[in-house]
Amino acid sequence: MAPTAKRPRRKLVARPVTFSPFARSAAHIASAYMIKRQMIENKLHEFCQLTPNGECKCNDKRNIDETESDSDGESSEGVVQADFAFFDPKPDDFHGVKTLLQTFLDNKEWNLSGFVDLILEQTTVGTVAKLEDDDDDGLFSVVTALNLGRYKDHKCMKELEDYVLSVCHESNLVDQLRVLFSKKARDVGLLVSQRVVNLPAQLLPPLYDALFDEVSWAVEDEPTEQLRNSFRFKTYLIVTKIYMHKKANGKLGEKADSEEEPVIYVKAEDELFHEVSSWSFSFPLKIQHVTTSEASFSFHLFNQFTFFLKNYVSMGLVMAVEADKIPTFRKQLRSLIDDEP
Amino acid sequence: MATRLQFENNCEVGVFSKLTNAYCLVAIGGSESFYSIFETELADVIPVVKTSIGGTRIIGRLCAGNKNGLLVPHTTTDQELQHLRNSLPDSVVVQRIEERLSALGNCIACNDHVALAHTDLDRETEELIADVLGVEVFRQTIAGNILVGSYCALTNRGGLVHPHTSIEDLDELSTLLQVPLVAGTVNRGSEVIAAGMTVNDWTAFCGSDTTATELSVIESVFKLREAQPSAIVDKMRKSLIDSYV
Repeated sequence: MAPTAKRPRRKLVARPVTFSPFARSAAHIASAYMIKRQMIENKLHEFCQLTPNGECKCNDKRNIDETESDSDGESSEGVVQADFAFFDPKPDDFHGVKTLLQTFLDNKEWNLSGFVDLILEQTTVGTVAKLEDDDDDGLFSVVTALNLGRYKDHKCMKELEDYVLSVCHESNLVDQLRVLFSKKARDVGLLVSQRVVNLPAQLLPPLYDALFDEVSWAVEDEPTEQLRNSFRFKTYLIVTKIYMHKKANGKLGEKADSEEEPVIYVKAEDELFHEVSSWSFSFPLKIQHVTTSEASFSFHLFNQFTFFLKNYVSMGLVMAVEADKIPTFRKQLRSLIDDEP
Repeated sequence: MATRLQFENNCEVGVFSKLTNAYCLVAIGGSESFYSIFETELADVIPVVKTSIGGTRIIGRLCAGNKNGLLVPHTTTDQELQHLRNSLPDSVVVQRIEERLSALGNCIACNDHVALAHTDLDRETEELIADVLGVEVFRQTIAGNILVGSYCALTNRGGLVHPHTSIEDLDELSTLLQVPLVAGTVNRGSEVIAAGMTVNDWTAFCGSDTTATELSVIESVFKLREAQPSAIVDKMRKSLIDSYV
């Protein structure tokens, strides 16, 4: 057996002097890294062990850095080893989660801080993805499910309800939405999932497995009957973003250029959710990303992304997914990620 | 009194505004509630001027000023400079300076008597600061950070600095600046003090994430509870506009 290399410390690339932990962690990622797929694929399925209590024990002892990596870890190609770990939300994660959810409701001014507090208080269901032993505590992803009925009295949830109802322009769906927010609110979970744009796709199946497993454990393990019932979701409500081709006009299949997709899903799993959703609608967003080839950001990944998106328009997407479709979703997500080159 | 507010869902109000004893600058493009909060507090006492600097909205971090003057970076356009000169009181000298470090708000922390400057600032800039702002300039660091303008909020009555500033540094700075200093945070633990809040001798504006504890620290170190605008107005009679035509 080849000698296992020491885990390289994270101080591999020059850090730009930025103020926020999120900007620093985004800069780490943007300085061109590629994670060796084989290495991650082998490790990730066993990476996180979720105990029945909903705690996530991450394999600290597992030595992820294999000998295939460059000997001193500092490759001139800019390959950076990154070990991700999943944690329960903590109050310290406030700024990271808030940064990720900054555009959750487009540019509406709402009580985002209160919303983030709700997510962080719910430690039994909810996961944040960070780097293992990262001093900076940078947050890369947050995923959680909030019961609409349990939190309906909070100002942030009321503002969210108002926003979603106001952007829905299809009259038949407005009624269904209203029902979801009022009569059926106790059985509806708002699925919040946000991450840095280029988080490796291999993390998605474990991330969603973590969420849905925690939901099913919470149904059994929560101390009170009321709490247990609050996690018996029948429907999941998802608010997310997509890019729609300018010429598509919302109808799939109508496009001038046959090479260009009518809809681009920012998050890969949204496409799967969309397929199994009971209903959905899209709406134009007020914040549009810069789509010229000269972007003012220094992340060249972002530059390529925005240049490619010249013909697309940012749209919001709201979908309702029945809870019994979730096992199908999980299977499809796994096969989607596994098949990807 | 300290007020909490947001600029377009962003709690970094010190980035989008600049408050001194003689004037207040705010960035364009924010919602009306942002301006109205400033105007409610300040309209009778000092002018509130909407502006951009170099076409950007991060005016609080690009310019540095006090009641005597305002320094703007070389990226400021001629129209913006003219607008500032027209809108601000005549006693306030507006000067555009050629300095490599163009984010003057991050490099300079000042009140009406003394200023802390980035260690790498040009000599000419230091002289200009002393002339235009009428202050004594000290090149200093705060908790090892050279961006003194970002990690320190300073008025004539007190100052708030980076939370990791040591006691020795606090004493040394306090002696230099001749005001009481406190190490603290703003916006629920953010260390970038000057980005999260903006303050003058009688009022402060903080980001809406600021906790009650942080707010009480701010009110006590800047002595905002006893402060009355009328006291300031009497002292600064000459620098204020009496009426708008």
